[in-house]
Amino acid sequence: MGRIIIITGTRKGIGRYLAEQYLQEGDIVYGCSRRICDIEHPNYHHTRLDVSDEAEVVSFVRNVYKNHKHIDVLINNAGCASMNHFLLTPYDTAKKVFNTNFFGTFLMCREVAKYMVKNKSGRIVNYSTVAVALNLHGELVYSASKAAIEQLTRVLADEIGESGITVNAVGPTPIDTDLIKNVPDNKLQDLLSHQCIKRFGQFEDVKNVIDFFLKPESNFITAQTIYLGGVV
Amino acid sequence: MDKAKINEIVINTLKNYCEENDILAEINKDTPLIGSARIMDSMGLVNNIVDIETAFLDEDVEISLTSEAAMSGRISPFRSVGALCNFIARQLGIEEE
Repeated sequence: MGRIIIITGTRKGIGRYLAEQYLQEGDIVYGCSRRICDIEHPNYHHTRLDVSDEAEVVSFVRNVYKNHKHIDVLINNAGCASMNHFLLTPYDTAKKVFNTNFFGTFLMCREVAKYMVKNKSGRIVNYSTVAVALNLHGELVYSASKAAIEQLTRVLADEIGESGITVNAVGPTPIDTDLIKNVPDNKLQDLLSHQCIKRFGQFEDVKNVIDFFLKPESNFITAQTIYLGGVV
Repeated sequence: MDKAKINEIVINTLKNYCEENDILAEINKDTPLIGSARIMDSMGLVNNIVDIETAFLDEDVEISLTSEAAMSGRISPFRSVGALCNFIARQLGIEEE
C-alpha cells in the first residue's frame, strides 16, 4: 500500500513534480495550494488553502488523518521569495515571506506531528536554501525565514525524535522556477560561482535528497540540512 | 457527545497512557496533570494532549487543546482531569457538571 504523503504547494514547480512522481510510484498524495490545481489522478486530493492560516491547516490535516488514521510523510514545499536590499524591504513583504515560509512550515509540522507522534512514526522534510549558507545580499528576509526553518528542523527533530519521527531539510540551489524569475542573471551567475558544481539545480536533484530522507534505512538521519551543489 | 462521554474518553486515554508507561496512579476528576503532584512529566502531558485530541477526532468530534486559551489561560485546564473535561465541554458547548 502506498504511503500517505502531504505536500504543500503542489500547483506548480517542484511541488507539482514531486506530487506527480510519488503518485506514479503508488503513493497517496494530499496536496494544497492557494489556487486551483489541475493534477488529475485517482490518488491525488487537492485542497485550496493558505499554509499560514491556522484554521485551514488544522482542518486540512485533520481530514487526512480522518481518512487514513495515519500520515507517513510531510513535505513542506510551499514557499515564496522576495529579493530586495534590506533598506528597501517593506515590512508587509517581510511579514508575507515569514508567514508563508516559516509560519506555514510551523503550522503544518505542528498539526502533522501530532498524528505522527500518536503513530510513533513519520518523516518530515522542510525546505531551506543555499542562500542561508551564502549570506547573499538582497536575500535577507528570504534567507532569514529559511534559517528559521533550519532551526525549527533541528529543535523539532530533537523534541519528537523519541517518537520515531525524523525531521530534515533540503537546501536547493537556484532551480528554473517562478521563485527566481525576477532575480537578475548576473546575481544568479554569482550565486552559481559559490557552488562546487556550477549548474542550476533540477527537480530531480531535490527529489533525490527527499527520497534519501524518506528511505526506511534513513531512520537514523534526522535534524540535518543538506545543501545541493556543494554549498557549505 | 455528552459530558459523561467526554469524561469517559479523557479518563480512558489517561488510563491507557499510565498503563503503557507503568505509571501507578488513580485517575479521577481530582487527579492533577500539572504542578508538583502531577502524575506524568511534561512530555507525557504532550503525548496525552495529542492522544485526547485524536480520540475525540475518532468520534468525529473536533477539539483543540493547543489553543491560546488552553495554553495561556490564567487558570490552566490541565490543573486536574476534571478541569480538562470541563474545558472540553465548554469548547463543545456542553453544560459543565
